[in-house]
Formats: sequence, C-alpha cells, structure tokens
Amino acid sequence: MEPRLIDGPDALPDGEVVRRVLAGEAALFGILVERYREEFGRYAAALVGDPDRAADAMQEAFIRAYRSLASCRDFARVKAWFFRILTNQCHDQRARRRREAPLEGFDAPARERADAAVMDGEVRDAIGAALDRLTPEQREAFVLRHVDGRSYEEMAAILGTGVDALKMRVYRARDALRQQLEHLHE
Amino acid sequence: MSELSKFSPEAQQYLDGDSAVRLEGAERASADRLEQVIAAYTAQLRVPGAEVDGAVMRRIRELAASRSWWSWLLAPRAIRVRPAVLAVAAAVVLVVLWRVGEREPPVRAAAQTVLVRFQLAAPAAHDVTLAGSFNGWSEGIPLRKSVVPGLWVVTLPLPVGEHQYLFQVDGNQWTPDPGAHAQVDDGFGRTNSVLVVGPRGVAGP
Amino acid sequence: MSLLVLSAALASVLTVQQGDLHSRLIERGAAPDFARQVAQLANRARAEGLPVEPLADKAFEGLAKGVAASRILPVIQGLAVRLRAGRAVAVSAGVVHPSGSVVAAAAEALGRGIERGEILDVLQASRAPEAGSVGLTVAASLVAQGIAPLEATHAVVLAYREGHSPQELLELPSVTSSWLAEGVQLPEVLRRIREGQGLPFPPGQGGSQVRPPGLSPGRGPPVNPPGKSGNRPHKP
Repeated sequence: MEPRLIDGPDALPDGEVVRRVLAGEAALFGILVERYREEFGRYAAALVGDPDRAADAMQEAFIRAYRSLASCRDFARVKAWFFRILTNQCHDQRARRRREAPLEGFDAPARERADAAVMDGEVRDAIGAALDRLTPEQREAFVLRHVDGRSYEEMAAILGTGVDALKMRVYRARDALRQQLEHLHE
Repeated sequence: MSELSKFSPEAQQYLDGDSAVRLEGAERASADRLEQVIAAYTAQLRVPGAEVDGAVMRRIRELAASRSWWSWLLAPRAIRVRPAVLAVAAAVVLVVLWRVGEREPPVRAAAQTVLVRFQLAAPAAHDVTLAGSFNGWSEGIPLRKSVVPGLWVVTLPLPVGEHQYLFQVDGNQWTPDPGAHAQVDDGFGRTNSVLVVGPRGVAGP
Repeated sequence: MSLLVLSAALASVLTVQQGDLHSRLIERGAAPDFARQVAQLANRARAEGLPVEPLADKAFEGLAKGVAASRILPVIQGLAVRLRAGRAVAVSAGVVHPSGSVVAAAAEALGRGIERGEILDVLQASRAPEAGSVGLTVAASLVAQGIAPLEATHAVVLAYREGHSPQELLELPSVTSSWLAEGVQLPEVLRRIREGQGLPFPPGQGGSQVRPPGLSPGRGPPVNPPGKSGNRPHKP
C-alpha cells in the first residue's frame, strides 16, 4: 500500500494529487483531506461558530470536492477551488445554526486557560453577534486575516479578490466588532 | 453605526500590523482591546480534528468501491427497497444486489450492501433473534417462522465484509449459526459465528 | 504529521466524543465506573491513531452477553494491544497513516494466529486502499475455516498479484464454506483456492476498481442473472 505523503520534501504537490486521483487512485485524495483540514480547520471553526458544525461543513465540502473533482479546471489551483466550496458550506452551516438554535451561546464553553485573558461568555457572544452582522464576504475576510493570520496577498490569492477590496472588508468588520464590544459596557 | 465607533485610518494601519504607526490614548486602547479579544477568541476555538479525515475517506471509499464494514455501527439508515430476486433451494442462502438509500444518484461502482438470508433450525423455540457486529450487538433482530417447519428465517441487508453474530433462542440462549463460514473465539469464553459477505452475497452449505 | 500535532488536534474534540461513547454505554446498562473506564481507554486509543469502533463494539458485545464488567475490561485492553500491534505492522508495510479498517483487520488477523510477516506480505501486495483490509479479513476468515495461516495469506497475495480485486477476494470464504460443507477435504480446498477456482472471474474482467467519478466509464460488478449460479455448488 502506498505511503501517504502529506508533507515533507517528497510530498506530492496538490496538482499532482488531483491528477492521480482522477486517474484512479482515489485513496490519494486523503492527502488533500489532511492538508486542507489542517489549513482551513481554524477558518471553518470561526466562520461557522460551532466546532461540530464546522466539522460537518468540512466533511461535506470534501465529499463535494471529490465528486466534482473533474470540474476543477486548473489542478494547481485546487486549494482555492476547494476553499470556495468549503466557504459555501460554512455559510450554509452558520445559517442553519442560527435558524435552529437562536438562543444558544455562540460557542461551546471555552476551555480553562491559566494564562490567557479572561474570555467570558459575553465577549464571545459579542464576537459572534458582530460576525453575524457582517456580510459573508466581510466575515470571510475578517476570519482569514485575524483568526488565520494571513497576509492580504495570501488572502487575495485564495479569494481571487484585490487587496484593496479585502482591506475594506476587514476594516468594516473591525468597526462592527468594536461597536459590539462597546455595547457590552453600556 | 455611530462615527465614534469607527477606527481611524491610522488605527486600521496599526491593526494591520504597521509598526511605523503611532497611536495614542483611547484610540490605542480600543485597538489593543480588539486585538486582545480576538486573540482570546481564537485561542479557545475548537478546530475539527483528524476524525474528519477518517469520516471523509470512509465516505469516499463508499463512493469509489465497497463500503467499509465498520461504518455499519453508526445510526440506522433508511433503506430503499428494490424488487429482489431470490432463487433458493430449501436450505440455501442466496444473493441479490441492493443499494442503501442515498440522496445522490449512485455512482457506478461496486454494490455496497447485499441481502443475506439467515436461518436457524429450532423447532422447539418460541422466539429467535439475531444480534451481531452489524447492529452493535444491541436489540436482537427477530427471525420469523419459515413455511418450512421448525425453521426460523430473516433476510437482512449487510455491507460487504466480515460480520460476527449469534442467534439468541427464547431470550437467553446464545446459539451459533451452523451455516456460518466459521466460528471464532469471542474473547469472553464463547464463540461468535462469522460470515464474510461478498458483493454477490453469501453461498451457504 | 507528528503524533503530537495529531493528538493536539484530536484533543480539541475529545470531550464531545467521550460523551458519546460514555452515554451510549450507560444507555446500554453499563455501570458508571465501567463506562468511564472504557471511554478513557477509547480516548487513549484514539489519541494513538487507533480505531475506536472495534473497542466500542466489544464493550457492547460484552454488555449484550451479560459478561461481568471485570471480565470485559481485560478483553478490551487486549484488543487495544492488538490494535496497536496491527497499526505498527501497517506502518512498517509503508502505510504512513493507516485507516481504521486496516488497523482493525490487521489486529483481527494477529488475533487469529496470522504472523506479522504474513500480514506485511498481504499489505505490500495490496495496491488499492481497501485491498489491504479486505485481504487480511479474507485471510483471517480462511484461517478460521481451517486453512493454515501461511497458506491463507499466500493465497491472498497471489490473487492480488494476479490482478484480482478485493471484491473478488470477498467471495473466497463463501466458496470455501460451500466446498467444506459438501465434504471436500482441506488439502483439496486449498488446491482449488491456489488454482483460482474460488475467484469468480479471470483477473481484469470483473469486480470493481477504485475509481472516482468523472472518469471514463468503468465496469460495475456483474449481477448474476436469476437462475445462474456460476460455479457455486448448492447443497439441497
């Protein structure tokens, strides 16, 4: 059985993995699954706002990506192509979350951390509420920038949008969050 | 949104990580607080773990080939019945292809689930049930009386692969299946009956 | 990917998973202590990259059979040891991240008396992802039916080398069972298996291969038309 080369100097590039999966080696798709889960797991968790639903969104995105893999036109850009599929699933799950449980807390109880700033439920909810007020594009941009810590150039490559437009979205998101946080102290 | 709540262009540069920007007073405090809150939120984010990989690849294997036999342990699935054709001599278990109900159109590939007929000769029994790895050893699946006197039968859709099981007669007696492929040690001092189901089902003795 | 990173990623959802297995055990009548111990065992196993389903399955089996908790636990612990060993064999066969099915199948094979070297042979002869776990499952079944482990694994390896698919291999235990029930003796059964009589098609002409959609049409598995039973004998 083939060793699974996820990373390291011998790792297969994404485009090569896609080519081989389409040629019949379906198991190699697992390489992309692991890579992209690592890469976008945080993004999905923040975008959806619920870890279990984020996992659902990722799973659904992977399955859809596999089934429509032949329609990915540029194998080398499969990551951006997958990112779009994942983002759609995340928006979907987020909307469902809000429809199905509008009263519940925004996220599962935070784990105890001895060192970090106190993260009480109100603040967490504030972030959730602020993110809810954003447009989907603003939300994506904000999460990529502040949760994933990506540069605007990276974001532009993944989203296919210009840096200026992305900055605008991030700035608006920050303003919304600031307002939400200020409300807490009123 | 009130104008007061908006970050100044300098604050936005500051938040973009531009170290050349000098920010003072309330604006600075506000920007720092935002960063703090985001950092704390990000730190407590629970991220999907490696179990996603396993779940995805199981599903992909289903799409590409026969389904992993462990996936049967999960919640019961809706099963869509197609007319089955059974050509059977009295004591023979035979085969038909079935598909487990799916939302998507079936991908051309192997059968995933197959009808398997179980039977037990137990003329003195009042009821006979079946439990095994395919139903998490939970409530026994009841067999019904066949037209053949003394014979109890049931036909189940099972995924291809190995299954371990036992009959239970009259609620308490665990009984192996003489028609199974093999009997194996269950680890508890008893034996389990083993059936390896292929895509074309099972041929019995 | 290092085990450390994997564990950290897994730890983030451990609380959710632990609740699931634990509450399922309680629902099935397990004592709270027992449920807790099993859930802990499962979590440790998961953190090591071992499949949890076989352990959970065994716990449920013990409960269903009315086995005392004190006797179920050592059995599950033993299974965890075998799963660990199974995973180690898979890794030495070159599978960097063995799937749950492969680990479980390797563990089962070890439990049935198939040696590590023989398991390695099967895994190395397996080209498709599920082929390894199917090959081991079939070999383990043949062993339980009375075929010597070396012969059983050799038959699987040969079948794969000749290009037979996992689906075709899955027919072997069934066919073997029929022959034995007819009264065919083991040496003759083995001879027939070696000659490929247990396999439904010549290689390359049947069974399915692992193919994602979007490819040139492959051939699905042939359906036996009613009334045609192939070379499978019936006992009235």
